Amino acid sequence: MYEKTFESTKLALPKDSGAPWTQMIFVTPWDAFFCANMWEWARVFRDGTKVPYGVPSGGYTPLPRVGGYAAFYSGNGRIYGAYEIDQLPNPNEILNPNWAIDYSHAPSSLLGAFIDDRNQRYLHQPNANSVRVYDLGSGAVLGNITHNAGEYFKTIAWVQHGQVAGICSGSGKVKIMDYLFGLNVVEAGRIDPHRVAAYDSTFHVLAAIGMDNKTRVYCREAWPFTLSNPVFEPAAVYGLKGNTVKVRLTGQEGEPCPGWWIHWELEGGGGAPLGYLDKYVSQTDKDGWAWNLYFGPDDNAVGQTKIRTWVALA
Amino acid sequence: MSLWCLRTVAPCMEYIDNDKCYPPPGPPPQVWFYNPKLVTCPKHFQQGEGRLSHFYYDPGADLLRAIIIYVTTYWPGWDVQRLDFSAGTGDWVNRADVLARKVFVGIWGSAWTGKSTMGSFNKLYACMNTGTPINEVDPFTLNPVPGGWTVDPYRWNPKSIFGAAVVNRIDNYLAGVSSWTLDCWKNIGTAPERFGQLRLPNTLGYLAYESRNYCWIITRDGVICKADYKIPRWEMISKVQNPGLPATDFAIALDTKRKQIVVFRSRPDGDDGACRHQLEFYYPMVNPAQLTQPVPVTSLKAGKRVVLVAHLIGEAGEGVTPYTVNGELQEPVDGRLVTPFSGTEMSGRVCFQYQAPNEACEETLSLETEVEETL
Repeated sequence: MYEKTFESTKLALPKDSGAPWTQMIFVTPWDAFFCANMWEWARVFRDGTKVPYGVPSGGYTPLPRVGGYAAFYSGNGRIYGAYEIDQLPNPNEILNPNWAIDYSHAPSSLLGAFIDDRNQRYLHQPNANSVRVYDLGSGAVLGNITHNAGEYFKTIAWVQHGQVAGICSGSGKVKIMDYLFGLNVVEAGRIDPHRVAAYDSTFHVLAAIGMDNKTRVYCREAWPFTLSNPVFEPAAVYGLKGNTVKVRLTGQEGEPCPGWWIHWELEGGGGAPLGYLDKYVSQTDKDGWAWNLYFGPDDNAVGQTKIRTWVALA
Repeated sequence: MSLWCLRTVAPCMEYIDNDKCYPPPGPPPQVWFYNPKLVTCPKHFQQGEGRLSHFYYDPGADLLRAIIIYVTTYWPGWDVQRLDFSAGTGDWVNRADVLARKVFVGIWGSAWTGKSTMGSFNKLYACMNTGTPINEVDPFTLNPVPGGWTVDPYRWNPKSIFGAAVVNRIDNYLAGVSSWTLDCWKNIGTAPERFGQLRLPNTLGYLAYESRNYCWIITRDGVICKADYKIPRWEMISKVQNPGLPATDFAIALDTKRKQIVVFRSRPDGDDGACRHQLEFYYPMVNPAQLTQPVPVTSLKAGKRVVLVAHLIGEAGEGVTPYTVNGELQEPVDGRLVTPFSGTEMSGRVCFQYQAPNEACEETLSLETEVEETL
């Protein structure tokens, strides 16, 4: 689970509560999000401020575009760019002039797609466990990215050069994928289940509008979920010696949680603890490991002692 | 860019008062009225339901002119008057003549043509309601000028029928709207070619000519956009102030002398039948409407430096710049605000940095900006 840094008190309510938001796309020049439902197009800010400015028409389906823009799929198989100032469809700019994308490969409000007209790529989901990469010029399949999310990405949003974020609305699973160089998943994370979500490529955070219409912002640092038991390395522990001991802090997807302070404490088994620790706090490294030294008793005392570790989350 | 509301004239016009009303269901049979609903209590006017058919700026007279079609109690049950407003103040300058019904312009101009706007050579152009041509029209009757300039987009490729258009005869450009798109044509005098389209945010309310490059549109829900119809490209998007005020339609004209946008907001009549239409004058310039809450976009760990982001935006969510936004931590303060003020970027964004202490705490950051009304 990614760390949630903000939850709004404002509600980004769609015009008609019976027609919930269907798309959310980060727009770089706005530094805000394009949100669409059946009845309106609106600009939504990170704090939940919503400003409607347009009405959908013409069978346009919005989808994210390279660079942090909106594009619009039309029923004629063409994808149009959008005007920078208002993100309205630009009928003069066809992004796929050589390949008309048929309806079976089109984006929808449930099935996200992505267009990179700079590198001539189009991403579509053939099933809930993979993303297929097409050549935008010819429609040829260039490869598949297997992510095994088990759920279709409602959004495939631009992250940075060659990377997209696939976001599942039902489970909140997030897969950061390389679609240009390696065709693989480079990072896995999770946010809360939501209605729509987008990747904010300016600050590299994820933003979502929940079922309750509150906006939530998540930074790409894993929120701790599991703290492993202390492990001695090597396993044999000796007295009169500094024995290396470590614990690992990970998120819900098993991803490491770097930079967290781990608190250490010795507990005696019915009596005073035996030996002592080098540090009472240590910080996790980039792989989520925190290290310490345990010095065994120097008086040949026999008994049991436990190492207790914990993390202060708030 | 945004729109600064200079003044609102509300209401900008009146109906002829009947000085008397009749209890429901209306006047007794021996008192004959057309449209007796207009004088059925609490309504007491001889005119009502004024509907705008044309709205334009007349640079020669420096007046805003509106052609209004009324429903009336007097014969023949309707009336069409031309109302003149001062472009500088919005005052209704021919009030006495209109209320005396001396500025009757006839129904045919409004029936045949619609949504006229000034164009090249300060002439008035309008699309036909009853046909496909676009004509130079008479500024008083709104009828096509006999022998005047005309084109018929239905004869072009692709065939087009417009409800509103701006005409640039000097450069041979024309931009017209039928419903959702502004179609941009060039070489209209020789071999017309549609070289671009701009998709509107909503269906059109009115289209107004500004210059050989620019025109303005207002949608039926009050969104205002400026377009460069020769590129074509949207130049700005904004919205009427107080967009929630009930309106039945919007019209727009550009005062080319003062470079002001004038919006005619048609509103439903009041409970007593009084006219509530209003004029709104805007100047295109930065106009902050709201400041969003600061949102942390980096991890909130003890001892870390946290980045917070907010936006100063206009009525349509457009960023406004240049403004300075000041930040202040509210007591009790545990950490330190590294950036006490920040200037808005093009998107209206301001960023603040906060240094968190090494222990858990709760902080409140308040933001403020000063907006000077300089006009």
